[in-house]
Amino acid sequence: MTIELNTSPCCHQEAGPASVEAMEREQARERTLLRRKVNVAALLTALVVLSSLPHMLGGGHHSLLPQWFTSPWTQLLLTTPVLFWCGADFFKGAISAFRQHSADMNTLVAAGTGIAWLTSLFTTLFPQVLIAEGLPADVYYESTAVILTLVSLGRLLEARARGQTSAAIRRLLQLQPPTARVLRKGQAVEVPVSLVVVGDLVLVRPGEKIPTDGVVVEGSSWVEESMLSGEPTPVAKAAGDSVIGASMNRSGSFCFRVSRVGGDTVLAQIVELVRQAQSSRTQVQRLADQVIGWFVPVVIALAITAFVVWFLVSGNPVLAMLFLVSVLVIACPCALGLATPTSIMVASGKGAESGLIFRSAEALETAGKLRTIVVDKTGTLTRGQPEVTDFERLPGGVLPAVTLLALTAALESRSEHPLAEAIVTYVQRQLANSYSQLAHTRSELKGSELPAVESFEAVAGRGVQGSIGGQWVRVGTPRWFEELGINTATLRPLVERLEVAACSVAVVVVDGRLEGCFGVADPLKPTSAAAVAALRSLGLQVVMLSGDSRHTAEVVAAQVGIERVIAEVRPADKAAAVMQLQQQGEGPVAMVGDGINDAPALAQADVGIAMGTGTAVAIAASDITLISGNLAGVVAAIELSRRTMANIRQNLFFAFAYNITGIPIAAGMLFPFTGWLLNPMIAGAAMAFSSVSVLTNALRLRRYRTIPLPLASR
Amino acid sequence: MTYSSLAIATAPLWRTIEQPPALKLLVAALGLALIVGELWWFLGPHGPGVAARQGAEGRQQVTIQVDGGYDPARIRVVAGQPLRLTFHRIDPSSCVAQVIFPDFQRSLDLPLEASTSIDLLPAKPGLYPFHCGMNMVRGMLEVVAA
Repeated sequence: MTIELNTSPCCHQEAGPASVEAMEREQARERTLLRRKVNVAALLTALVVLSSLPHMLGGGHHSLLPQWFTSPWTQLLLTTPVLFWCGADFFKGAISAFRQHSADMNTLVAAGTGIAWLTSLFTTLFPQVLIAEGLPADVYYESTAVILTLVSLGRLLEARARGQTSAAIRRLLQLQPPTARVLRKGQAVEVPVSLVVVGDLVLVRPGEKIPTDGVVVEGSSWVEESMLSGEPTPVAKAAGDSVIGASMNRSGSFCFRVSRVGGDTVLAQIVELVRQAQSSRTQVQRLADQVIGWFVPVVIALAITAFVVWFLVSGNPVLAMLFLVSVLVIACPCALGLATPTSIMVASGKGAESGLIFRSAEALETAGKLRTIVVDKTGTLTRGQPEVTDFERLPGGVLPAVTLLALTAALESRSEHPLAEAIVTYVQRQLANSYSQLAHTRSELKGSELPAVESFEAVAGRGVQGSIGGQWVRVGTPRWFEELGINTATLRPLVERLEVAACSVAVVVVDGRLEGCFGVADPLKPTSAAAVAALRSLGLQVVMLSGDSRHTAEVVAAQVGIERVIAEVRPADKAAAVMQLQQQGEGPVAMVGDGINDAPALAQADVGIAMGTGTAVAIAASDITLISGNLAGVVAAIELSRRTMANIRQNLFFAFAYNITGIPIAAGMLFPFTGWLLNPMIAGAAMAFSSVSVLTNALRLRRYRTIPLPLASR
Repeated sequence: MTYSSLAIATAPLWRTIEQPPALKLLVAALGLALIVGELWWFLGPHGPGVAARQGAEGRQQVTIQVDGGYDPARIRVVAGQPLRLTFHRIDPSSCVAQVIFPDFQRSLDLPLEASTSIDLLPAKPGLYPFHCGMNMVRGMLEVVAA
């Protein structure tokens, strides 16, 4: 896996494990204090409710409780600490917000409970005023205490749930081991990861985590990168291969040279991208944000209206006050505010755990609405590295297979063509199998074990030729040999069969004799066909974009089950092809690619999806990065997006429906028809748990699991 | 207490009292005035935001105190010039422990009793809201043309 993520950090803060731990400690401290306040408030509130029980049950006579305990003064004494210690934050927040011309949940809670407490205080101090008006001298301390206790409890539950929404980033950061074993003056020294610098040599033993990014210089092993890529299969690593910090070394020991540290590592950049996504907004959130801006002032206006209307209707200021308090404490702007960001937070973290990096909330939103997926062929559907799929000796050939392979490899090792590289790799493997004593690397093959090439010439578009040990060897296209007048009639059925399989054909001719034939193809990735099938089952149109000939492109498309092919597209025209699909009304369109030449198309698409195995340019131009480089990630990204948006819709529906129905009921609009009144205590309870419900619903997204697609072999 | 403690109760509390028309009129007028006043206070125009001061290397700088809300909550800056916002958090509530700039796709954790800075480049004039992690405490960056 070679990943080059590129973010543009310009922030003074580092999202390292240390800062996360500090924030966690602070959150834990806050939860402890909140818990203490809730416990004290609950105890005092229980006493207040007990104290007011005789009045609640109607009258107070036959009470077993002593009179001093049921006195308003006792209730005042018990409620005041609840209000001014347990609920101090609400009042502090409300005053601070008021000074800034803004109003929030604190404003509503503080106003609601403050008014109930002040009214009760007035009644306690001057009961005769109410009695003279023919009103009972009732106090509402229990409402004040119960509302504040429940809202504080809601806030405690909310703080706990909020901690869970950011758990994914925490888990990602905790992947990095705290120390590294660095070679200093020939000695392995264990140092904190923060002291490791680029160029250091680091030793990794079996079962250890790789401390930072680098390139293996010695040794080999199998490394599990699942925690970053979501791919369960360990990856072989040997000298020259890149390793990623935080991945797990399984079997062997190796030494690697550090290439990136700190904020430059893949892990740090993944975390930064996830944070970016969590800091962005979806379109639906913009709507909710606008509503929130107006929400609290409008609720306050409605509460005052309820007071005035009920005072005019009944002339009863106590009744009117209860409606006012109920409206204030039932309204919940938090549920509206939390509806979208919590789902985005949980989903983007969940995506990161599965190797899906969303660059913005908007990408997460749009991915679920996609109708067309444009897939680049090379490197996306295929591995992007040609391999020899067929080798056959031809009738009339006289050379033994080993000699023929050695001559071919000797000549091709002088060429830089990708097909030549595939042939040399193949020959190297075959010879290594045949003669285990032979060399294991291409560079060694180029040397003494292969026959010396006396002369060499590359013929553009045709092949290569040269003299080896007095024999004239040519490796090239069948057409070249036809042009040279060599009879290729016996070759034709084989060439046709290979071309049907989308293979490029390289024929080996020695001293004018047809000796052998190679079929070279870029093999499909094992999950490509299953991923295409899964995308189609999601109702998406899959289009393949390729610079190859129509024949080759169509053969590959048929192998993976793609019906629509845009072939022979020059790299510069890929973006235009995507734009054309958008203009034809087939959007929103996603483009999946990995190469530098895909970058304009990725930027043009409504959602650009880059393979993590691809180039930095492609990844920088994308909205989603699939760390695994597996097309199955597109399926997972779309499914996660759809679930997230469904989750957000549920949250928003709940939050709007709650407020739209709750506020009129609290304002007494049902009273003329049903005689129902809503107790302010129940209004407070509903408010406290509405935002917890939204958070709990968002946390359901944590249960999302990507379903592994079946692997196909080719 | 005559008011039933049930969630939804019929109305033993319902008791009409004849009030003098002048008092009714006064309550209605006060209520209306209160509504107008609070809507103006919370939603009305309150002048431009606090202007950023010019710091070293042409960087605009603003220090914002986080205590229940953002002080100042509305900040006026010039487009095209780098901006450093320094948040000093004294509010212990973890609700305000993070500030998010959605239009810049940036967020910043704010340790308690400490100053933390974020550098932004407001390229285009416009209004760019920022808010706490809970989306409850809100501020506004007012970017004006140079």
